[in-house]
Amino acid sequence: MKNEDNFEFKITLPKISSLFDDVEHKILSPLSCLREFDNHWILEFDLPLVNKKDINVTFDGNNINVEAKLKEKYSEEKLGKMTKFEYFKKSISLPGNIDNKKTTAKFQKGRLEIKIPKKIIRNSIKIS
Amino acid sequence: MLVGFPSNGLVGTFSVSYLIHHFKMKQIGEIEVPELPPTLFVEGGEILAPIRAYNKKNIFVIISDVPFNQYLAEGFALAVHEFCRRNAIKKIVIVSGMETINQQKDSPKIYGLVSHPSLENILYNNEILKFLDGSIFGTDAAIISVFRKTKIPVLVLYAECHPFFPDPEASIVAIVTLAKILDVKVDTQDIQNKIDKLRIQHRNLMEETLRTLQQHQEKQTRVPQIYR
Repeated sequence: MKNEDNFEFKITLPKISSLFDDVEHKILSPLSCLREFDNHWILEFDLPLVNKKDINVTFDGNNINVEAKLKEKYSEEKLGKMTKFEYFKKSISLPGNIDNKKTTAKFQKGRLEIKIPKKIIRNSIKIS
Repeated sequence: MLVGFPSNGLVGTFSVSYLIHHFKMKQIGEIEVPELPPTLFVEGGEILAPIRAYNKKNIFVIISDVPFNQYLAEGFALAVHEFCRRNAIKKIVIVSGMETINQQKDSPKIYGLVSHPSLENILYNNEILKFLDGSIFGTDAAIISVFRKTKIPVLVLYAECHPFFPDPEASIVAIVTLAKILDVKVDTQDIQNKIDKLRIQHRNLMEETLRTLQQHQEKQTRVPQIYR
């Protein structure tokens, strides 16, 4: 029998958010993807160069915000200027009907995986 | 000849560009794909074409820095074939990534798919698991389709990887396997040390690759479930 957690019921393409680094505030935009399963959503963030203790995840209505401090500064040339980035930060707007109180998260190999259960309301339909 | 292009986890891009660097290969040409929008990269003042050919001794490499959608994939495959024909290439090895559900594994596995039985012994001699069931789409499928009709056999190496994020860890497994096939020694310590930075550095390419692959999937006509 298949593990329900691993069974992708709906064939949906992951939602990829655009990357906009904030040079002024030295903030990198992490890669993220949101996938829909039968009774939950999985939202993943790629957070290399980060320690678990430096990640902060918050809910704000239907938005989920992730902020993480890099364990060392990451240098990259942006607009012809070398910038030393210090943080990852991103907000993702989630679909409705989510149960944010039962949301769980784990961090492994620099990847943050947030499991967001759906609020499932079932109504039976009378067949005449 | 080795072929690498952006796909799942950017495994092909990381592995093949690492070997070009490691073997100090010399650029011998550029590959033109009809209908590819004009694109050039500038690195340290040097103008680079997005698809380039390299060589050292009897090893040739074609690497693309741009992902291909369904329309460009066949043009790329035909261009690779034309290059093989002109340079009397005997066999090609493609390096790519394969989505895995279980990301908690310590070491990603690698699978091989061959277009001709003459390459089966490469899988056996190098303890590469055979890719038995599944479906392939995109650039890998285009290359296999073109080369199946020719006398040049193809081996595709698929490293288990995270499909949506750059995965240098899976690329290391692919590099080690390639080194065994080519019977050369490689030291992956330097890539190991840079894993985190490579992941940050290649975010934009990964995003562009996913968008290109999604265009492909979205345009495929879905057959109703009952008829599958």
